[in-house]
Amino acid sequence: MTRQKLPAAAVAVSLALLATGEHAIAQGASELEMRLGAGAVRTPGVSPLLPASRMAVTPGLRYANARFSFETQGSAWLNGQEWSVGDATVATNTNSHTWHGVRGELLANASRIIASPVDVSNQLDAAGRLHFIRERGGVWVGSGIVRPLRIATVANASVNSGGVWTKLGATTLRATVTNVQFTKFASSDTASGSGAVTACPTSRSAAGATTPDIGPGTSLTLPTNAPSCRRESRLTDVEGGVRWEHQWLELSVRGGERFGERVDVTPSSRTWGSAQGAIWLSSQLAAVAAGGREPAQPTRGLPARRFASLGIMLAYWPIPRGTVLVVSPVNQIHAFELRPAGVALQRLTARIGPVERVEVMGDFTDWAPVPLVRHGRDNWELLIPMSPGIHQINLRIDGGKWFAPPGVPTIKDDFSGEVGVLVIRG
Amino acid sequence: MRSSLLRAIALLAIATTVSFAQDTLDPAADPLRRLDPSTRYAVEMLMDSARLARLPYGPLESKALEGIAKRANGRDILVAVRRVFRALRDARAALGPSATADELTAAAGALRAGIAASELSLLAATRNGKPLTMPLVVLADLVTRGVPRDTAAFTIFQLWQRGAADDDFLGLWRSVERDIVSGTNPSVALLNRAREIPAKGPSTAVPPAAGVRPEDAKS
Repeated sequence: MTRQKLPAAAVAVSLALLATGEHAIAQGASELEMRLGAGAVRTPGVSPLLPASRMAVTPGLRYANARFSFETQGSAWLNGQEWSVGDATVATNTNSHTWHGVRGELLANASRIIASPVDVSNQLDAAGRLHFIRERGGVWVGSGIVRPLRIATVANASVNSGGVWTKLGATTLRATVTNVQFTKFASSDTASGSGAVTACPTSRSAAGATTPDIGPGTSLTLPTNAPSCRRESRLTDVEGGVRWEHQWLELSVRGGERFGERVDVTPSSRTWGSAQGAIWLSSQLAAVAAGGREPAQPTRGLPARRFASLGIMLAYWPIPRGTVLVVSPVNQIHAFELRPAGVALQRLTARIGPVERVEVMGDFTDWAPVPLVRHGRDNWELLIPMSPGIHQINLRIDGGKWFAPPGVPTIKDDFSGEVGVLVIRG
Repeated sequence: MRSSLLRAIALLAIATTVSFAQDTLDPAADPLRRLDPSTRYAVEMLMDSARLARLPYGPLESKALEGIAKRANGRDILVAVRRVFRALRDARAALGPSATADELTAAAGALRAGIAASELSLLAATRNGKPLTMPLVVLADLVTRGVPRDTAAFTIFQLWQRGAADDDFLGLWRSVERDIVSGTNPSVALLNRAREIPAKGPSTAVPPAAGVRPEDAKS
């Protein structure tokens, strides 16, 4: 009996995007993001599913709280003079409690691509992950399955993956390795790999169609009910990424390389890379630009592609009633800094997220709460008049309890709490 | 002419009334107005006492305002303000008349954290014109974080004698805090990190504070 395993580089990409480690410690409250992008996508070579070059509009929505996240994204393509629904994806993940730095995660993803009324591909995938999280980084391992539906090229696939990530200040580094074992319906000219191949006599000629290159080198026109034509194979994707945030600017770059047999890895999918930048125009509106090259997604019969897009992102970070924070407020503060900004003026900057409101008070405000101003996703800033000398300071997140900010000495405040002590030099 | 004059007077009266009303409503104009009358009276008495004793009274008002902001009741606020007043008075006695308001405030924090007045006196006796604020702030924090007060006082005193600067004390505090967060015993963390700070000046021959255990310093 032949096991049906399919190439699934798409899974490597989608899973990595769904649950990168950097999200693992940041989910203290809930957040809601809405995106709307527009851009051009160019697919080199001939594809049976996609036009070579097209305009795309891509709306998206993402909700996340401490235990659960839900994301949906779609795209509409301009084919000639008409708009048509291009694809739609729904993804969820759920996390367990973190116990001694160990946390479990389950992910599920369903997607559909509609190239034309007759060319529709669906895919379901599910995976489990185990995270080992430390203060500034973590490691994860995971395993999952992919089930393509209505795709003639592959049956199914299993995915094993692992990754490591670390935070260096405002920079997050990430590396993942994803191994995909799959069974595909091999044509006679792709049956030359080292995987177990059964006879594949005349299916191609029987179909009477050409065999466009869609990445794994298979034909869409092959009959799905031809078990004698299946071939087991595997791909390994190695990918690295860097994400950097500074106040109103977010940049991320990623690149990867695919290893596998020549018949499974076309030259256009051997390496890839992309970059994305977001500029926050206000606390809840950002302009997003992205471009680069994506590898083929064999489980979906999608070829490698080049893309460039420009869009906007609307974000809202509400704190719903009943939300229980899984981390203390101090742990939500990734950076806290006070720098001179002129005569008797200090610039307070902090990276705190995801939260809705940050306030500061101290003797320098006569203990009246003053809200910080958000820049970007989780950067907060305030200019404070503060004379040289000794001062006491407290922070509050989302109307919670007052606490001493991290990175400054503290003393008891006589009211069952603590205050931070600042010594401003003259 | 007469009606214009009357109109101007009326406008002036309205403006004055509005101004007075705004003063009454503006918390900055009377920050203690949210205290109940008896607590307010007691706090103002303490502030007057501080003025007469030439102590900084700002920390007393600040403590009262902090209590208001943190929704403490009047009794707790008064207790806290009294505690600050006593600590400032003891700090003045320990540091001497030349101590600045910032040094007194920092010393008051150290006293409230459990540092003995005699240990502050030792620091003040060897100050040689250097500001005491930062070492006192670090000292108070270390005790708050669980370093035994004798160990903390002795170590800070030693560094002070060796000429440690404000940056040294701040660096020491950061390192110790990091170690404590990583699970190191607070006392061990302090003693280990203190050894990393190089001596910058001649040691002054002043005996350590009473109650300091030499084994703490050696461990």
